[in-house]
Amino acid sequence: MTTQTDATVAPAASANTGTDAAAPAVPSGRRRRRVGGGFAVVPLLAFVALAFGIPALAMLNGAFTVKDPATGATSYGVANVTASMQGAYLTALIGSVKLSAFSAAIGVVSGLLLAQAVVTSRSRMLREAVLTASGVLANFGGVPLAFAFVATLGNSGFLTRRLDLTDKGWSLYGFSGLTLAYLYFLIPLMVLTITPALEGLRTQWREAARNNGATNAQYWRHVALPVLAPSLLGGFVLLFGSAFAAYATAAAMVGSSIPLVTLQIADALAGNVLVGQENVALALSLDMVLVAGLVMAVYLPLQRRSARWLA
Amino acid sequence: MARLTSRGIGKVRPGRGVVLLCAAVYFLLPLAASVIFTVDIPGQGVNFDVYEQILGAEGFVASLLLSLELAAATIALVLLLMVPAMVALRLGARRLRPVVEIVCSLPLVVPPIAFVAGIATVLTWGPEYLSTTPLFQTFVAVQNPDFPVVLVLAYTVMALPFVYRALDAGLRSIDVPTLVEAARNCGAGWAQALVRAVLPNLRGALLNASFLTLALVLGEFTVAQILKFRPFAVWIVGIGGSQAQMSVAVSVLSLFVTWLLLLAIAAFGGRTPSPTTTEK
Amino acid sequence: MTLTAPQPKADTADAAATVEFRGLRRAFGSTVALDGLDLAVRPGELLALLGPSGCGKTTALRMLAGFEHPDSGALLVDGEDVTRVPAHRRDAGMVFQSYSLFPHLSALDNVAFGLRMRKVGTAERRARAAELLELVGLGDKSGRFPHQLSGGQQQRVALARALALRPRVLLLDEPLSALDAKVRLTLREEIRRIQQELGITTLFVTHDQEEALSIADRVAVMRGGRLEQCSAPRELYADPATEFVAEFVGTVSRLPGRTNGTGAVRVLGRTVPVKSGSPAGEVEVDVLVRPEAVRVAADPEGNGQVVAATFLGATTRLTVRLPHDGPEIKADVPTADAGDFAPGVRVAVTLPDQSVMVVDRAG
Repeated sequence: MTTQTDATVAPAASANTGTDAAAPAVPSGRRRRRVGGGFAVVPLLAFVALAFGIPALAMLNGAFTVKDPATGATSYGVANVTASMQGAYLTALIGSVKLSAFSAAIGVVSGLLLAQAVVTSRSRMLREAVLTASGVLANFGGVPLAFAFVATLGNSGFLTRRLDLTDKGWSLYGFSGLTLAYLYFLIPLMVLTITPALEGLRTQWREAARNNGATNAQYWRHVALPVLAPSLLGGFVLLFGSAFAAYATAAAMVGSSIPLVTLQIADALAGNVLVGQENVALALSLDMVLVAGLVMAVYLPLQRRSARWLA
Repeated sequence: MARLTSRGIGKVRPGRGVVLLCAAVYFLLPLAASVIFTVDIPGQGVNFDVYEQILGAEGFVASLLLSLELAAATIALVLLLMVPAMVALRLGARRLRPVVEIVCSLPLVVPPIAFVAGIATVLTWGPEYLSTTPLFQTFVAVQNPDFPVVLVLAYTVMALPFVYRALDAGLRSIDVPTLVEAARNCGAGWAQALVRAVLPNLRGALLNASFLTLALVLGEFTVAQILKFRPFAVWIVGIGGSQAQMSVAVSVLSLFVTWLLLLAIAAFGGRTPSPTTTEK
Repeated sequence: MTLTAPQPKADTADAAATVEFRGLRRAFGSTVALDGLDLAVRPGELLALLGPSGCGKTTALRMLAGFEHPDSGALLVDGEDVTRVPAHRRDAGMVFQSYSLFPHLSALDNVAFGLRMRKVGTAERRARAAELLELVGLGDKSGRFPHQLSGGQQQRVALARALALRPRVLLLDEPLSALDAKVRLTLREEIRRIQQELGITTLFVTHDQEEALSIADRVAVMRGGRLEQCSAPRELYADPATEFVAEFVGTVSRLPGRTNGTGAVRVLGRTVPVKSGSPAGEVEVDVLVRPEAVRVAADPEGNGQVVAATFLGATTRLTVRLPHDGPEIKADVPTADAGDFAPGVRVAVTLPDQSVMVVDRAG
């Protein structure tokens, strides 16, 4: 990294070490400010390389390291990765993707409706309360909300007992129960994501559309939704990624009875299933990173476009 | 004129009421039900014993203190790393900006469970390969159960995306180079210019970043549980099996306390009033 | 006024509409935006609504577009009451101050938007939109998106879009205020040219008096939600109906004077006729004079002293202080002669033999 940015870092190196190999005749006065700039970034990059890079490399290395159960000898191979794409692991991976896509879709629609209701509301207090509450639920989430749902809709939960839900076939500890719980942090996340975009919708656009003969429905169909489209899609992938990565809620709520990739990884790491599955856990982690990476690759360009339109 | 014209086409819309009502039911019902669950014990009637017992509960104080210590250390570390870097990006090292943005977004691509899988692997290297080297002592030290440094490192990485966004939003609203030049023009040194001119203007962003990090660390479960440490969230899940009422009570309390904290930060001017959509 | 597809109307002055504001009132809470506005716009004319911010000019315009609704009063277009017609059927094309183009549509699609809303076929609306872009001088930019256009180009597209549905009235809400001085000038002339070419009845809201005077057939000066005066620019300047108009349009200085009860006023040591409405009897008044109507001559024995000189191009505006802590008066001299009037120089100030406007003594 530092070798590429000769203009910013190299003069600093020359000033401090006395070598001037990489800094040919730089007018030092003009550059001095940028020198400090380069240096202030180094601790951050070094930290990330250490605290993030090493575990990431370890994961990558482990995912492709095959251990012979008999001899204990290790070699590189794709056996773990192949295993992570088969049987129960594949089921878990598909389960995670399904759950995430389903709850993200509901989260996008509900979050949009809620955010629009809050943005157009004239009450500043309501706005502030909803946005801060969204901040808490979207970021803090996890364990507390799992327990709140257990207390409400679990087997001995308040609503379950009052409404005899168990007799009606309800169980919190399944696909629909998890979706309901996930939405508790996904909708707030969507509200936080889409609110700036909704605020970026200019009054002039609505009025210009009306002025050009558009009804309110036509305004939404032809102006507001197309302008919001990148933000909505971006919101969807963000919600998907968030649901996909969620572990605490599911672990606290349902243990490992549902096939989810995060639960499988935790199980394999703990050696609950089979001894020697740690490397399959790493391969599963790698699968997750690939999916999440795909999500980000879709999200970032959408974010850029939306920022340009709504700035 | 803004006051006079911006409300022009406001109409009473029943849709908004329905949406807000549904949201209120969905979001408040579990909280209300949780509170009832904790105070209305079948066969005993309504009592608040469980809230009185929280403080005395085994492990509560220890785990909460551990989480708060971890949060303090994480906030200090992440701000120490990020603030100088972010300010520097505005001042001169513009070409490093995409690099830092990508580096700070990387943790989003690696879910916590995958990240901790990597960490767990690295930690096994200690006993396996390094037991004879001085590095082994370091491995033992970072895993000290009284204060697991490894969690601080992990949480700092996980907080990077949030802190980046909070600081970036804060820096966007001020013109750092001009501020610094103005301060230096008034005779301030480099350090003075940063501390006296730039940081006070970043107060809101710093508060925001700190809060997000605090919420992240207090609620964090995945990494701590896999690495077998016992901060707050792990403790709650731990007692969930035997003392369901108390785990719910603590959960609800922690949600409310975090929300009040955030409201306080918003009220203290952490957030500037968001720009309205009308320009006139 | 109906939802039918636009018929190929003749774009000529004889098809132009009249607009009438009748006793419009509108209050936002305790703020009164319009306080009984009465105003009639003639067919095909460009009428500028001029006034300080908060005078209600934008509210009046937005009412005509259907974005605001009067508490009482009526809006008439061609004698037809449109007060209750919703905004999307108003038949009034509007150009906003800025940022009103749809960011996800190209210039062409922005212009064609209204036609699309009215279900006009693709080929027809593209042809019409292209024609309009040609009219505003952007025929070669039809594929560009708003963020790829300059501010002036964006406003041109907005103008084309406002004209796409062949509206009966064109509404311009400070369309130039967000632009650079130079662009503002050329676009102003462009708007005037297109308006005259189409002969469309046009309302132009602005707070810039120079803009209003230079572009409009008539200028309506508003203040506090009411109409102060509506006249042709020349008349407005030369013969302001009220003290407010006199001071808001152009520059005036106040000189102390005393009327003689016979239609003349004694000021600066001489007697000059009063324009109209001279107060009866002998009273102390303020005489309002324009800087170009004040004569100054270098005179060591003169009654005034130059305190400042501002270069304005062809002329230089002097600020002259009259004796005994008297008022300061502005006077224009040709820049060629300005060398004689450096600050500190004593000058003689006189008024020509023209009739002047008097108002009650201020304060």
